This record gives sequence, structure tokens and C-alpha cells, in this order.
Amino acid sequence: MNIINIKDIFIKEFSVEFRQKFAFFGIFLFAATVVFLIYKSFNNINPREWTILIWIIMLFAGLNAVVKSFLQEKKETYLYYYTLFDPIDLIVAKLVYNFVFLCSLFLIILGILSVFSGFPVKDFSLFFSGSALGIFGISVVFTFVSVISSADGGNGTLMSILALPLVLPIVLLLLKISQVSVRLLVDTSVVEDVWLLAGVDCILLGAMLLLFPALWRS
Amino acid sequence: MGVKGLWWKVAGVIIFIFVLIGGLCVPLRPGVTSSQPANAKNGDTLFMNVIGYNTHFSTAQNHRAWLKLDSIHAIAAKDFFGKNENEAVITFYLPKDLPTSAKVRPLTLIVDNELDGAFVQPNALFLTIEDNPTHSSSSWTQADLTNLSVASGLKFPYRNILNETIRNTFFHVALWFAMFILLIAGLYHAIMYLRTGDYDHDIQSASFNRIAILYGVLGLLTGSVWAKFTWNTFWTTDVKLNMTAIAMLIYLAYLVLRGSSADHDRRAKLAASYTIFAFIALIPLVFVIPRMTDSLHPGNGGNPALGGEDLDHTLRLFFYPSIIALSLLGTWMASLLIRYERLKEKIFLKS
Repeated sequence: MNIINIKDIFIKEFSVEFRQKFAFFGIFLFAATVVFLIYKSFNNINPREWTILIWIIMLFAGLNAVVKSFLQEKKETYLYYYTLFDPIDLIVAKLVYNFVFLCSLFLIILGILSVFSGFPVKDFSLFFSGSALGIFGISVVFTFVSVISSADGGNGTLMSILALPLVLPIVLLLLKISQVSVRLLVDTSVVEDVWLLAGVDCILLGAMLLLFPALWRS
Repeated sequence: MGVKGLWWKVAGVIIFIFVLIGGLCVPLRPGVTSSQPANAKNGDTLFMNVIGYNTHFSTAQNHRAWLKLDSIHAIAAKDFFGKNENEAVITFYLPKDLPTSAKVRPLTLIVDNELDGAFVQPNALFLTIEDNPTHSSSSWTQADLTNLSVASGLKFPYRNILNETIRNTFFHVALWFAMFILLIAGLYHAIMYLRTGDYDHDIQSASFNRIAILYGVLGLLTGSVWAKFTWNTFWTTDVKLNMTAIAMLIYLAYLVLRGSSADHDRRAKLAASYTIFAFIALIPLVFVIPRMTDSLHPGNGGNPALGGEDLDHTLRLFFYPSIIALSLLGTWMASLLIRYERLKEKIFLKS
């Protein structure tokens, strides 16, 4: 693993993303529209709905965002990468990029949703640490699945079919943690859930790092 | 393939027939289905109507019954009248004095005769204590709870609520065990494919996974029917059910992935990686999360796991063979799929 390479790929991803502003802002526009639509249809969102909605919006907006990260690149670009970088460097850079991207997406959704329907979170450290771990897990799964679907010929539907069942356990844990953090539930063992989430993240990350080089060779 | 290679298929069929016949025909041990009344006061004379299951209340001769308060305190029945095989009226004189000062105490009913052996109904009677009883335990310690009879013959334990559905253990629980064995076989071949690149491993991995998915669906169906008879609903919010549903979704996505690509090599590589990833995602789903939350299933939220009284020797006698039989039958089904896929591959390569 080479930190400089990872940084280079990360910066390249970032500049590519910002050069195509329409795609980048399209996702944020998507998030904002959905939040507004939901706000208008619910009018008054209670904390339970709030926690559910934020993760559902996050899931679908994130899916849209990550699909592009591998699908937008051409076969020739891959060949070029193959000659330049170690596969581990490439996947780690993509993962870090997706994680940063999803985190900022999450903060934006959170901001818009808070403006429209308040911010019911009581336990900030629990909410944000849980969310960070959960988003990390989601980005691992999405990155891995986008590798698979891009290797399968750039099929966007395959991505959502494969990714949604795989992130379900993470999202369920996230929902529980955020429901505890808005004090909908009282659960003294919620710290165990946070650790479990971290464990799931580590296992998925390990699996991805092990499997990616094999997938990459094709 | 000669006769030599057939032995395990024959063994699988024979063991499964053994489990089917034994598991469905061995009778249940006698037990108490219900008893009336459920409440009494101290000092009452209690006529308790007991409805039994598989009992011999009129043919057996030496009936004895007790109401047990705790490990040393119990009272014996004064009279036992068997109306018919499954109905009896037991008379108790509830003493005025009590060894405890609690307001309401649950009592356990123990019935014993030489044909059925001893059997119990926990919390059969709630004893309400009225006007300051004298604290004395003399009338509660005279009962002789020794020389309990033991029923002969092979019988499954009687459990309230479960009743006859306890036989589903051999199918529902064993299906999950067999499914995991098949999934591990699929995982092994997926890893071997990634290591060797031998296309045959991909065929084997896919076949084992498919049969495992079939077992998973059957496991959900048998579990659903079982839940209807014990929890009175086909589907509950129980963690284990929902985590299993997610696991099935993950593996159904595997089938979609296999159907998505026409390029064999690429499909094989993707499917193998996905198998490994899915299996790893499955471990917290099925083994970790359900153990951390309350569940209606045994082994979760303080319920006893397999073992102890829930899985006694007679159940084990059919449960373990059932796992072996279902795994062997699953391997057989997978091997048929493997042969079919190999032939398809051969024809594909020729044309």
C-alpha cells in the first residue's frame, strides 16, 4: 500500500467529480428534492419517522452517487491504472473517496432535513459516531458492489440489486442506534451495537481487500 | 459411477426415512394440557379438573398428585378420580398456614402413576393468601415426593404450547444446519475457484449454493407453519426471522448475479467473490445480532438454547440423523445439478 498513490488517485477522483459539476450537484439536488417532497407530504415529522427517513434518503442518494464512481470510467482507463497502481491502492483510494463523498452527502441531507423538520437528536456523540461507522460500512459495500457491476459490463440495475440486501444489516443497526440517540428507545447495551457495527465494517473491509485483486485482474 | 459411489445416497435416503417414520410416529410423553381452576385461597378445598394428553387416568391404578411450592414444600392430593383416560378431578385440602409471607404464590402440579410416569404442569395454580396466615410449614412438609414412577418406552418430551409440533425440530432446525453445511461447501468451492481458476469449481459452488437457497426457503416455510401453531402468526417481528429473511435476500441476489452475465469466466469470478462476501456478511446476521437481542427462539434473550431439557435424548436420537440425512440429500441434489451443468458446458464447448 502506498499512501502517495492513494492520495493521488483520491485527488484525481475529486477533481474529476468537480469538473463534471452537473453530476455532482445532481445528486445533491436529488437529495434536496426528496427531502422537500417528504417534508411536504408529512408536514410534521416525528422523531421516529425522522430517523427512518434520513437513512432511507441516504441509502438511495448514496447508491446513485457511488454507481458512478466505477461505472463512469472506460475500459482503457482501467488498463492504464493497471499499469500504474497496485490494486489495493486503487480500491482504498476509491473507498476513501466514496466515504468522504457519502459523509458530505449525509451532512447535507441532515442539514436540509433539520431546516424543514427540526433536529431531534439528543445524544450527539452516539449519533455521529454511529453514523460515521455506518456510512463507512455502506461505502465499503457500495464500493465493492460497484466493482462487481462495473466488471459485469457497467450494469447499474445489478448494482442496486446486489447492494441493497448487503447493506440491510448495517442499516438496521444504524436505525437502532439513531433511534436510541433521539431517545425513542432506552437501551443500555447500545454501545455493543456500535462495536458490532465497527466489527461488521472491519469484516467487510477485510473481505473487500482480499477479493478485489482477484476481480481486478479481469 | 459404480455401486461403490452410491452408498452415501442410500444412507441419506435410509436415514431420512428413519427420521420421517420415527419423528412422526413416536408418541409424546404424557402431560397436562390445562387445569381448572387457576386460582385458589388458602384454607380452601380444591377440586382441580385436570385435562391430560396421552395420559392413562382411568387405566392406571396408583395415582398420586402433589402441589409443589418450592423444593422442600409441597402438599399431597387427598383424592384422585379419573373420569376417563384424559380427564381427572384431583382434590386438595389447601392448608391455612403457609411457609412464606408472599401474597400470591404459584404452585406446580405434579401427577404420577405407574403407566405414565411423573409429569408436571408449572404454575398450575396461583394461591392467594388471605387474612394473616400463621407462618408455619408443618402441613407443607409431610408430602412424600419420592419413588416417582418412570414411564417406559421411547417418547418425545411433552411441552406446553409446542405439543405435537415439537416434531418439527427434526425438519425446521435440521434444515438450517444442513443449509449451513451446503453454504460452507459452496464457499469452499468459491475460494478454490479464485485460487485455481478451474471452471468446474464454479459449477460446484453454484450448485451447492442453489440447493442451500432451496433449503433456506424450506426452512422459512417450515418455521412459518410452526410459528402459526405456536405463536399464532405466520410471521413475527422476531429478529431471527427478519435476519434470516435478509440472508435469503442476499443469496437471492446471488442468483440474479449469476443470471446477469453471458461471459462464463467473468460470471464465475464475480459469483465466487460475491459468495465469499455474502457468506461473511451472513455471519453477523445469523450468529451475532440475534444473540444480542431478545427473540422468541430458543437460545436468545435468556431462553435456553438447544440442550438441557429442550433437546432431550429422544429428540437427539432423530435430530442429529436428520441433519446428516438432509445434508446427504442436499449433496445428492447438488451433485445432480453439477452433472447437468457439466453436460451443458460440454455441449457449449462443442458447438
